[in-house]
Parts: sequence; C-alpha cells; structure tokens
Amino acid sequence: MKLAGLIFMVFMVFGFSGCISQSVEEPQKPVLSEEVSSDADDELDEFAEEMQVKEVYDPFSGYNRSMTSFNDGAYEYVFKPVAQGYRYLFHEEIRMSVQKFFHNLYFPMRVVNNALQGKFKNSAEETGRFVINSTVGILGLFDPAKSKFGLQAHEEDFGQTLGFYGAGSGPHIVLPFIGPSNLRDTISLYPDSLLTPIDYTERSYWTLTDTVAEYLGVKSVEKVNYASLNMERYDKLKQDAVDLYPYLRDLYEQYRDKQIEE
Amino acid sequence: MKTILKKILFVSAMLIFTQSLGANEQDDVKERFLTNIDKVILIVEDKSLSKKQRNANIINVLTPMFDFELMAKLSLGKIWRTLDSEDQKKFVNLYVERMEKSYSSKVDSYNNEKVEVKKIEQPKDNRIALVTDLIGNDESLEIVYKYYKPKKPISQKDTWLVYDVEIKGVSILKADKAQFKEFLQTKSIHELMAVLVEK
Repeated sequence: MKLAGLIFMVFMVFGFSGCISQSVEEPQKPVLSEEVSSDADDELDEFAEEMQVKEVYDPFSGYNRSMTSFNDGAYEYVFKPVAQGYRYLFHEEIRMSVQKFFHNLYFPMRVVNNALQGKFKNSAEETGRFVINSTVGILGLFDPAKSKFGLQAHEEDFGQTLGFYGAGSGPHIVLPFIGPSNLRDTISLYPDSLLTPIDYTERSYWTLTDTVAEYLGVKSVEKVNYASLNMERYDKLKQDAVDLYPYLRDLYEQYRDKQIEE
Repeated sequence: MKTILKKILFVSAMLIFTQSLGANEQDDVKERFLTNIDKVILIVEDKSLSKKQRNANIINVLTPMFDFELMAKLSLGKIWRTLDSEDQKKFVNLYVERMEKSYSSKVDSYNNEKVEVKKIEQPKDNRIALVTDLIGNDESLEIVYKYYKPKKPISQKDTWLVYDVEIKGVSILKADKAQFKEFLQTKSIHELMAVLVEK
C-alpha cells in the first residue's frame, strides 16, 4: 500500500516538474513574425466560426439609410448645438439628476418587463429602488438606492421581453429622431408607452404630461439632457464608422441581442 | 484505514493541482492585464507629457498585449485571402493605426474610472475572456477582453494576446467586419483603404 502512495508521489512530482520546465521553456522559443504570418490562413480558419457575423435582415435599407442621414443631420445641426448650450448653462450634477429623474419615471416599464420574463428578484429590486429614490432621493433626482443600499437598476423593455420568449428582431427600421430599431422593438414602443407617465393620450391614471405640446416639451428636455451627457459617445462612434448607417445598424442589433441574452 | 485516507488525500491533491494549473494561466493573464492598466493610468495622470508623447507611451504599453495584425486579418475575413501581399501589409498598417487612434480618443475622455475584473472565462484551452467593469462615478461599462494563445509565441508579444474587445456586448471586430463587408460589396479594397487613411 505504501508503494501506491509512492507512485502517486512520483506522478505528482513529475507532473509538477514537467509543468515548470514547460512554462520556463516557452518564452525561450522566439519565432520570427514572418513565420507566423504564413500561418494566417490557419488562423482565419480557426477563428472563422467565432467571427461569424449574423447578417441583419434589412429589406428597407434604402429608407433606413436616408433616415440615418436625416437623424444625423438633426443631431449635428439641432440637438448638438442646443445640447452644447444647455451643457454650458447647467452643471453636470444637475444634468445627471435630471437624467435620474427621468430614469426613475420609467420604473413601471422596467418592473413589469422584469416580471414578464420571470425575473422577480429584479422586479423586487426595482420596486425597492423606486420607493427609496422617489422619497429619500427626492422624486428620483438622486440615487441613494444604489449608493446607499446597493440596489441595481435592471433595464428591461417590452422588446427584450418579446426577444426573451424567442421573437426574432424582424427587419431593421431606423426611426425618426429615435434612431436604429427593428420591427420587434418598434411594436414594443406601444406597450411600453402605456407604462410610461410621459404621454399625450387620454389615460385613466396619472401621467406627467397630458397634451401633445406638453409631451413634446418634456421629451425634448429629456433628449437634450441626455445628449448633453452622452455627446462624445456618438461622436466617437461616428469616427469609427467607415459607413455610418450599416455600422450603427450592426451595433444596435448586436447590443440588443446581448441585452436579450442577459 | 490510514492508507485509504492517504490515497484520498493524494487524489484530492492531484485534483486541486490540475485545477490550479488552469487557474494559474488565468491569473497570469489577469495580473498582466491589471499591471498594464495601471501603467496606462500612470501615463494618463502624468500631466507633464504632451498628448503625442502620452499616446505613444500608451501604445508602447499596449502593443505587446494586443494582436493587431490578427485583428486586421479577421476584420476582413475571407476577403483577406484575395489581397496581394502588398495590400495585406498596407491594410494591416492602416488597421493598427485605426485601433491606436480609437484607443487614444477613448483615453482622452478618461475621468478617474476604475477597472475591475469581474469574471474570467476559459471557453477553450487557448481562449480566455476577461470580463471587466469600467467603473465611473455614476455607471459602469462592461468590457470583455478576449485573449487567445498563439500556437507559436510571437516575438516581443505576450503569451496570451487580445484579439477582440466587446463593449456592452458589441464586438468591435464583428462590427468592423460587418461594415467592411458591406462597403466592399459595392467598392474596392483600395477605396476602403482610402477611407481609412482619411479617418
């Protein structure tokens, strides 16, 4: 029996020393980069499966492309200058609070969509956030739920809910002023709007806005405020794009797929 | 009884050992990543450097960590094979420049964010993914660094190399591949390179 133990010991030691010598030897074998580049074809094959890009279904590419140019123009010549002025007028903390205020208003949408996907823990956490931030956080202007209680937001919308139950994205559609979307997410705007207190239709429950004018006003403030905080992001995306429309389209679809997966 | 105990001990020791081997590799990748990030942050915080000098220093730190050449090839996919060797070289250089510029512009907006490694995944023997969080004042951004281990080590490069970066689930390599492919459906590789030069 002792022998068996010994054999184990020998194995262990050998295995161990083998590993050490291997890891020491590895960097001692420098290979010229020329040799590596001759393996380029192998590399391409090795990564082929991983790098497969899902082709986005895009029957409306003509319309989408012109709508992207329109949105980009609206951003460059209207939203951006306005947001720059707005940024100059209001301190970053104020703008961040405004964003938090709007984020807090979208609580019903998040809580319902989390629940619809069976993510009840997230729904509970969202509810906790809403209660704390609406009271202690003064109508959602601050986020003590996260900073003091460690409660995280869980972004879910109806498009993600549909995706969660296996609905495909459908054709890609670029919406005016909103930007990249697809059929599934566009349809989902309606159920989500019913769960949002910023609207212009007749509702039997309290909403922040009642008329179209009020709605547009509040929405514009939200948009400009958002742009004032996130301008650089879009500018950088644009810098990385060889062709803006397909780039934004693919980024959007990849991003949504990831959100649905989570 | 004693011998049985011993055996169990040995077997469990073996198990732990083989497991820690994989973990060691992962720890090495993580450690190197974090030291590099620390180096980059030191450079960024050094206000005495000119912007040009700063960017050059950062690129020096990052070059051994990234396999930009492979990224260039993968971004073209099958089309890569149709290029002659001169165009291939030219394209790789342009792509490397593009990555460097893109990274430098992201560093410009650095604002005391912290980098934390959340998770380490190893889907295959020669693939490791570092799931990190870029933690800002208000929100955090999930960035995944995907590493591979080349069959033969490349001189002046790390053993494990980054070949793709995923920001919020969007792979920069896949995004590039898609847009290059679409561009090349109607235009030539030379036109693509001309656009990249302009950027």
